[in-house]
Amino acid sequence: MLLALRNLTHDRTRFALSVAGVSLAVMLILLLSGYRAGIYRQTAEYLDHAPGSVVVAQRGVRDFLAANSILPPGAAKAVADVPGVARVVPVVAQTAIVELNGRKELVYFIGYDPGIGGGPWSLTEGREPTAEGEVVFDRVMAAEHGIRLGDHVTVLGGSLTVVGLSDETALWIGSFVFADSSTIESLMRAPAAQSFLFVTPQPGVKPNELRGRIHVQGIDAMLKADVIVADQRLLARVYDAAIGLMTAIAFFVGVLVVGLTVYTATIERRREYGALKALGAGNRVLYRIVAIQALIAGVTGAALGTLLAYGLGRLFVAWRPQFPVTIEPTAILVALGVSVAMAVLAALVPARAIARLAPADVFR
Amino acid sequence: MTGFTLEVRDVTKRYGDGPTAVSAVRGVSLAVQPGEVVLIMGPSGSGKTTLLSMMGALLSPTSGTISLDGTVISALGEGRLPEIRLRKFGFIFQDFNLLSALSVLENVAIVAELAGHKRGEAREKATQILTELGLQERLRFLPEKLSGGEKQRVAIARALVNDPALLLADEPTANLDSAIGHEIMRILRRVAKEKGRAVVIVSHDQRIRDIADRVLWLEDGEFAEAIELATDPVCGMSVERAKATTAERDGATLFFCSRGCRAEFLGQLPTDGIDPASA
Ligand SMILES: Nc1ncnc2c1ncn2[C@@H]1O[C@H](COP(=O)(O)OP(=O)(O)O)[C@@H](O)[C@H]1O
Ligand SMILES: [Mg+2]
Repeated sequence: MLLALRNLTHDRTRFALSVAGVSLAVMLILLLSGYRAGIYRQTAEYLDHAPGSVVVAQRGVRDFLAANSILPPGAAKAVADVPGVARVVPVVAQTAIVELNGRKELVYFIGYDPGIGGGPWSLTEGREPTAEGEVVFDRVMAAEHGIRLGDHVTVLGGSLTVVGLSDETALWIGSFVFADSSTIESLMRAPAAQSFLFVTPQPGVKPNELRGRIHVQGIDAMLKADVIVADQRLLARVYDAAIGLMTAIAFFVGVLVVGLTVYTATIERRREYGALKALGAGNRVLYRIVAIQALIAGVTGAALGTLLAYGLGRLFVAWRPQFPVTIEPTAILVALGVSVAMAVLAALVPARAIARLAPADVFR
Repeated sequence: MTGFTLEVRDVTKRYGDGPTAVSAVRGVSLAVQPGEVVLIMGPSGSGKTTLLSMMGALLSPTSGTISLDGTVISALGEGRLPEIRLRKFGFIFQDFNLLSALSVLENVAIVAELAGHKRGEAREKATQILTELGLQERLRFLPEKLSGGEKQRVAIARALVNDPALLLADEPTANLDSAIGHEIMRILRRVAKEKGRAVVIVSHDQRIRDIADRVLWLEDGEFAEAIELATDPVCGMSVERAKATTAERDGATLFFCSRGCRAEFLGQLPTDGIDPASA
């Protein structure tokens, strides 16, 4: 309605204030949920790119990133013999705290066979390792420590040559380092060890069906999707409570700012609304005017907040690449929904004041 | 058919209850006919605004009935009243109460839109009425850019845009200087005479008596019958002859609101020190 629009443009400061309130809230919510989504995605990244759909681990192990798994000798061969198995990719996975330039870093060493798979899927520089002693570092960690292609790095007493830098391999708690499995074995002094098998079913065989068929002493077969969920539960879910709380606070503050500005705007125009009532406008017409004002402020704020979130999200990722912020296009819908909800709640704040406005009071 | 536009029958309004209750209007009856200008006068606090609010369905009476064209509006529920206010009454306020964010044209058109007119139609109607009231040069102005008289003319246009049967004005000239106030009154009279609407004006401004067809004097919530009024030559207030302090000069009787005014008129100095009579 025209009046709603004119009221907004008439007091610009107030309009700007409620838009700012909504946009800050929307921005915070998007950044927080983008951050959460990024953490979840980051946690799943390696397994998502790993071959196969079934993961075999030491009996009792349920997750990938936070577990130490050692398969019994011959496990790979036994699994490969299960009917319906198309391909088995073994990797050695070992978590270690290493010291780089005097700073401690958590590293996920992945030893793999470059000819079979299980290694980095996207290199920003260099190549995969082809000989013992060659490694691929995560590019973010490399950048942080000033490590460049061709550098020699001493890790756990062994000297490694950096031959490649990988992308999408940073985690908020650490990062992946890829090497030939023999490199990892000698680094860990665990010859012929295997930690996990990535199993691909033959065409027509369902992953779950195949999982049920793998009965080998000392191992468990799991769906890759379940392992990802288990990892996320351990490494990503720690953020949920804090992010949920901050999101709720941001939402609440947004509602409060818009609610208060709409409320004071209504109180300030009490006489005008009273005159409108005396002239024959019912409560519903007045509610609508107030609600439309809140909605316009809300949607404008949502648009601005989304832009801000994208901009700041990018800046943040550039500044701290290991803390990913992933704002999906659906975030625009989220922002819109959030702002409409904020506007509707905010419009309830002055509703009582409007209902109680007696038309006869305009004569006082 | 009564032939009346509005009929007020034995209406009483009490505010609050118990020992602190105030009877603002007590057993008032009156009827207003189309084309008639009724002026309700009376001292401050006499119940004028309360009576006017009840006549315009803004306030419901404690007892008694108010009917409009034969419909008892005082018995209607709050849900039905906005529609009646919208189509049957036009209100004019002392402090104009225009919508500050809307232009002159929009201020008038919005009321027509409330009554269900399409935007273009509403604007056309508003333009026509504003033009009749001499505001064609001001259509795009915001109210804050208008003079008091112009604001009140906009308010009159807004009150008229839905062709109400009755126009109700509470102290419409109180915030205007006397020449402009008189002009507003003439406009209201023209509205009554040319368009056959009933106009009820509440005021305590003596200067506008001449435009009314009928003047009613309200005091303590009741109409005083056949009260003869005179104007205090010193302070200009209306005073009842029967209750006033008087003085003779050149064979004529003069009426004063207080002994102070009388004393001033007679050239006695207002008491500088302590008046021994009142001490
Ligand atoms: N909402 C109200 N609540 C209580 N008392 C009121 C209210 N409105 C008016 N009154 C009282 O009713 C009396 C008449 O007031 P009002 O109709 O405003 O008189 P007027 O318009 O003639 O000055 C006054 O004594 C006033 O104090
Ligand atoms: Mg009054």
